[in-house]
Amino acid sequence: MSSITWHYVLKFIITGDAAVGKSSLLIRLTDQRFLTNPDPTLGVEFGSKLISIPDEDKIIKLQCWDTAGTESFRSITRSYYRGAAGCLLVYDVTNRKSFVNTKSWLADVREHADPHLTCILVGNKVDLCDETQDAPAKPRQVSTEEAASFAQQEGILFVEASAKSGVNVELAFVEAAQDILQKIKNGVFDDSRSPGVKLSNQPNPNSLTLEQTSSKNNTCCS
Amino acid sequence: MEFFSQTYVALRGPQGQPQTASETIGRLSDRLSPATLLADRRAAVLALKGLSRDHKQDVGDRALAGLLDVLASDAEIDSDIGKAVLETLIVLCEVDPANKELGFKYTDIVLATEKTVHTLFTLLGDNSFYTRFSTIEYLAILLQNRRQVVQSYFLKAPAGTRNVIAILEDKREIIRNEALTMVQTLVAQSPDIQKVLTFEGAFEKLFNIVTQEGGIEGGVVSQGALTCVDALLRFNTSNQSYFKETQLPPALCSLLLYPYTLPLHEPAPQEFALQFWDDQKAVNAGLVVGILGMLIGTKGSASQEASGYIRCLVEIGLASNAPVRLKTQSLRLLPANMNFPLSEIVVTPYMPVPETNGEEWDRLEPASALDALVELALHGEYNGLDSAKRLKNGLELRAAASTVFENFVHSDEIRHAIIQAMLPVEASAPAPPVTPLLHALASPLDTSSVDLAQISSTHFACLLFAHLLRSSPRAKLSARLIKPGPLHPQQSASAGQFFVPADGASPLAATQAEPDDDEPPQTLLQILSENLSLVLLARSRPDASDGENREWDRVVVGYLSLLSQWLWEDPKSVRDFLDSGGLGTLVEPVNQISESDVLIPSLCAFLLGICYEFNREPGEITRSTIHQIINRLGIDNLVAQISRLREDDRFRAIGPDSIVQASPLVAKPGLPAPKQPSQEEVEIWFDWAFVDFWKSNYYTVQRALPTDPNQLSTSAGQNPETAMLVASLREVIRKQAEEIESLQKRLKEQSTQPNEVPQLQKQVTELTAQVSDSAERQKDLEKEQEDLLVLLDEVSAKRKRDKARLKEAGLEVSEDEADDDEDDDE
Ligand SMILES: Nc1nc2c(ncn2[C@@H]2O[C@H](COP(=O)(O)OP(=O)(O)OP(=O)(O)O)[C@@H](O)[C@H]2O)c(=O)[nH]1
Ligand SMILES: [Mg+2]
Repeated sequence: MSSITWHYVLKFIITGDAAVGKSSLLIRLTDQRFLTNPDPTLGVEFGSKLISIPDEDKIIKLQCWDTAGTESFRSITRSYYRGAAGCLLVYDVTNRKSFVNTKSWLADVREHADPHLTCILVGNKVDLCDETQDAPAKPRQVSTEEAASFAQQEGILFVEASAKSGVNVELAFVEAAQDILQKIKNGVFDDSRSPGVKLSNQPNPNSLTLEQTSSKNNTCCS
Repeated sequence: MEFFSQTYVALRGPQGQPQTASETIGRLSDRLSPATLLADRRAAVLALKGLSRDHKQDVGDRALAGLLDVLASDAEIDSDIGKAVLETLIVLCEVDPANKELGFKYTDIVLATEKTVHTLFTLLGDNSFYTRFSTIEYLAILLQNRRQVVQSYFLKAPAGTRNVIAILEDKREIIRNEALTMVQTLVAQSPDIQKVLTFEGAFEKLFNIVTQEGGIEGGVVSQGALTCVDALLRFNTSNQSYFKETQLPPALCSLLLYPYTLPLHEPAPQEFALQFWDDQKAVNAGLVVGILGMLIGTKGSASQEASGYIRCLVEIGLASNAPVRLKTQSLRLLPANMNFPLSEIVVTPYMPVPETNGEEWDRLEPASALDALVELALHGEYNGLDSAKRLKNGLELRAAASTVFENFVHSDEIRHAIIQAMLPVEASAPAPPVTPLLHALASPLDTSSVDLAQISSTHFACLLFAHLLRSSPRAKLSARLIKPGPLHPQQSASAGQFFVPADGASPLAATQAEPDDDEPPQTLLQILSENLSLVLLARSRPDASDGENREWDRVVVGYLSLLSQWLWEDPKSVRDFLDSGGLGTLVEPVNQISESDVLIPSLCAFLLGICYEFNREPGEITRSTIHQIINRLGIDNLVAQISRLREDDRFRAIGPDSIVQASPLVAKPGLPAPKQPSQEEVEIWFDWAFVDFWKSNYYTVQRALPTDPNQLSTSAGQNPETAMLVASLREVIRKQAEEIESLQKRLKEQSTQPNEVPQLQKQVTELTAQVSDSAERQKDLEKEQEDLLVLLDEVSAKRKRDKARLKEAGLEVSEDEADDDEDDDE
């Protein structure tokens, strides 16, 4: 583990209606697996993953908090908004209601999160309505165009993906991460003002060297 | 204070007559209303605070609602009133032993809605000292009284988590320390709160505290912070996966001064091994060790990180000057399915220099961790320095070492290697030097006087050796061939001759020379059965005291437990035991039972039953011979004797984790109680492995006693060779399954790393090929095993036919191999 090194740690949250596939997206990202029968999430679950952003030549550690979509956990999951740098707002392309609800999810996120949070709208389960097949397993209820235009209106990113096939899953995270890096470059977060971003090479006076670039610093026995 | 007196004046009434307290309180309560001036409210709160100690009920019943309103509206604006109202509320809600109900009653009123809790978590963000401090204190009290209610409100409190993190960062020590106490209760048994605090960076803050305080030397503050870390991690897999992704686990090791990345072949640094210890530091280190153990548990011992933690625990347990309790804890936390290369790690144990009060230490010769582990179990820490005493801590440590050994030799391969080292390289070669384990096991006891150190090491040697043999036909086969070279009586006091100071000469050299054999050397089994009969003689001496007899009993129990497990299902070993006079040795104690003596006769009866059941090899003492003896002793009597083992506390009290028991002889009335529990004298009789073995098999033994000598074995019908074959095939399969699993794990680990995709893909294909290869091999082996079983079947069928033909031809056919016809109901 000592050889792994990263330039930034970014905190992400994943929100959206119940059963749209939030946990499935995270498990696809971290474990390259797909479960047909995952348990509904209770509260939140943590998962993490290193991704590289080739354009920037940066390695990023994603710390993802996957939240429960069920209404009863809303108050718990809200506590996670404020500290996040990125948000995956997920709906199910075969379930119109889940798309309609993204509006209120977004409002909720905007109310509680850092104003500079990067949000990406993710239309999940595109595998179900694969157009190249004669009979899609389930009809699509939200067109790509409609979702794209909604995202544009709201000023957030957009991608369609499938946790089952894996298509565009990593891309969704990479796009969001790239956007955050861009914001950092533009000085949006002057001195680590977003709680969701941690720079590896900028010692935080309040924290000991633990969160810094890993590797070195293991011979602490002096 | 001016307000104060004014209020009193105002309240005294026009005539200046004194009022009752309850009248005063009533009036003061009215003044809490928002309609009054802030200054008047403040004065009223101060007055109520003064009255609350002596008139808790009056103040509570009349003023609580008003106080809560003041808290909500004024505390943020006016820190004086904030402090006073919080302190009053604390008095009201505190549960005092004299009148418990009142405190709970007011707590419940306060917690009737979420409002006050939300106010309190907002007030935590207030930077003024007294407001913050009293708020923490008050929350701690509410949490103590009704934790779950406060927890559920906390999760909805708008600024809750942020402010909790803020108080952990407070530079003012008193506040931070108070915060640690409160947070411990706040996170208790609530995975949701544990996670949300983790999200907000609680681990990092807590580690900052520990580091600022000076690590494990940081007294109760470090203890508080480490306790919080533990609480955030335990039973919370989400937090554990967060934690292990951070740089904190290596930091945990470095708190113990252990370099996390230490390569396997490098020794642990001395500043880690030798430290100054005090009680508080030991408590803090215990918390760190506990967290390490938890991380190993969730990772399985395969991963690289886990092996770093395992090594750290091994080093603490075997080669440090840490307090005994910490060593025991470290050994106990090692994973049961440990495939850690104990025999490859070299450790450097230390010995305290006498009379230096633990300030100077001698370094001993480096030894493999496995040797050090065996040494620890056989003789106790520091070369058996205190092994003549039966101190609780010391015996618990040795018992823990024995369990680690048991887990380590779980694999047949390792057992085989260890036993093989006790055998000559070739049949004709001389016996190899006697290993410490063999030495302790086979050395005859000096029965003229009781030597506690020697008795303990013989007993532990029995326990360890039983771990090597238990249910392993292959190990038993090799063990039968062991012929220990020349043995010398064990030295008393410092029994551990196997470690010598690095600069001293080995006294072992002297013990090895002088071959004095005119007679052929005895096998280990012969030696054990001879030692057993000698000790049984010692215990029947009329002049022996209770205390002495108890010690002889202990050794006898050790021998009998080992022999039972050894002879079980192993006719060849039974034959050897019977040939060396074992039968007579066993019959004697069974024949002379007394009410006070249950243990030894019961175990003898059990072993006798095993000898009867598995006496299946041709020899001088046949099943019929034993059958006659059994009949003479009385079958019912033997069956009852075996069962009576359950009545004995020394057997009954054993659990998987508790084999050390208080010694009844020491606890005799009249003797002063030991000052510290750690100085308590204790004893060990059985380990759980034996108890488990006995419980699974005693019924079979009891059922075997009345069977006809000519009847075939009632237990598993396989002959030993088949059993061995099956066992070894099983082992191969198990290994391959493990291999596949670890390959898969590696595959997974590899594929989670970015940037090296092409190279990894190549590796993936390779590994996949290997996995399917192993799967293939496993299948082949399974097939092979099946074929072998079929073959075996054919062979025995043929043998049956041959025998039948022999019989027809009028030839004699051996009785004990009588065929089992078509009816298989034996
Ligand atoms: N066909 C298909 N099914 C999916 C996909 N993603 C998730 N699912 C299925 O959708 C169901 C719900 O998935 P989850 O990942 O548990 O959904 P969630 O959003 O985490 O739900 P909550 O935790 O309750 O909020 C499961 O049966 C998944 O197998 C996808 O991309 N394609
Ligand atoms: Mg989920």
